[in-house]
Amino acid sequence: MIVTPKIVVRLVLIGILGVLLQLTFFSQVAVFHTTPDLLPALVVCLGLLGGSLTGAVSGFAIGFLLDCLLIETLGGGSLVLLTVGYLAGLFRERFEIHTSLVPPLLCMVLTLFAELGFGAVELMLGLDGSVSPLVIRQMLIQSAFAFVLGWPIYLGVKRALRPALVEEPVRPPRRPRRPTVLGA
Amino acid sequence: MYRKQVRRRRAVLALLIIGSFALLTITYSRGSNGIQRGVSTIFSPIQSAGDRALKPARDLVNWFDETFDAKGENSKLHTELESARKEAVGAQAALSENRQMRKLLELDESGAIPSGYDPVTGRVIARSPTVWFSDVTLDAGSGDGVHVNDPVVNGDGLVGTVNAVTPNSSEVTLIADHSSAVSAKVVPKGVQGVVRPSVGDPGDMILDFIDSTKKVHAGLAVVTAGWKAQEVASNFPPNIPIGEITEAGIVEQEAQQQVHLRPYADLANLDLVQVLTGGSR
Repeated sequence: MIVTPKIVVRLVLIGILGVLLQLTFFSQVAVFHTTPDLLPALVVCLGLLGGSLTGAVSGFAIGFLLDCLLIETLGGGSLVLLTVGYLAGLFRERFEIHTSLVPPLLCMVLTLFAELGFGAVELMLGLDGSVSPLVIRQMLIQSAFAFVLGWPIYLGVKRALRPALVEEPVRPPRRPRRPTVLGA
Repeated sequence: MYRKQVRRRRAVLALLIIGSFALLTITYSRGSNGIQRGVSTIFSPIQSAGDRALKPARDLVNWFDETFDAKGENSKLHTELESARKEAVGAQAALSENRQMRKLLELDESGAIPSGYDPVTGRVIARSPTVWFSDVTLDAGSGDGVHVNDPVVNGDGLVGTVNAVTPNSSEVTLIADHSSAVSAKVVPKGVQGVVRPSVGDPGDMILDFIDSTKKVHAGLAVVTAGWKAQEVASNFPPNIPIGEITEAGIVEQEAQQQVHLRPYADLANLDLVQVLTGGSR
């Protein structure tokens, strides 16, 4: 991705919009008793389109804004989301995205990873209460939401960052060769 | 060239990780800081406007979810209604007895909240997205008279306590958060204990450290104990409803000194709440 000041502004706006949408809408709706978590999926998409550095920086910034607005201990959200963004970017740099299923699948896996990460941060800071087994169910449902939301988020972010994206050359489809009739 | 890029990328990553740990170390258990207050001041009006604008869409999604649940709950509620009818007769007698006792003790019959508290109404404008934290942000802050440790209630019962405040907003740690512990008592038995959450399941809480010699059973109400000892007092006023005991196995009571309860307040769907400012502070 070619990062220009205009693209940085777009990235900042995407981050702010994502965090505000999460806090004012997604966090306050319950589907199957679980609130969808949009932010790991958004960071995954930024990492997939921008690479590991963009993913990590976006994850850090989004996590920081989230912690600020929720008046939580700063750094926890940043640490988890920067890891998610970096891993997504690393995936894009190491492997080729063959099918359209890759972004939602990666969103699903890394959302689960993020939720486990948030749990690890909580353990690190001191988890006092008992943990219900329902946490696992909620994390799995959140991952399923991330799978569903992953593709539209990916398309939206791709559209917003299109001027900065380096399009890979598209190979023209092979034309079927006409059979050669020997001796004709 | 490529090596330089890789080195730069690694340096930025290391810097971000160190930054995250530094932030965690500096801001851990310090409440709100200058940065958070600044960011919150800027974003609170936008959050508030977004919250109001998106309310119809949220209500629609929640309506679908509730309709889905209602189908399953219908038959369960029919059974509960039958037993509730039987209990209602007994409750009427108990209510009459209760009224007489209240008159005798000259207690304020108006409600659970004692005088001296000044309720400030606030709307939930944000909620923590992960399953690990149970925090909500209100659109009322120190400018409205809200202070740290003020109890928060809604029409159903206790919701939580204020954890941090900024001029325009405040963070409320719900009673379902892992860091929450509320001293409570079972009425009418008077058995005291500490209400603690079961992380990830806001519909189930634990009344811990109860006196195992006094037996309690499902259906009894749990309210705040509101203790006071010399200069130290509980943050919660007494007799605010918390929940109803759902599971009280004899083995669990004797071995672990705990019973399970369901909070009266629907902690997953909070909208308008009241912060009880003033009080014993």
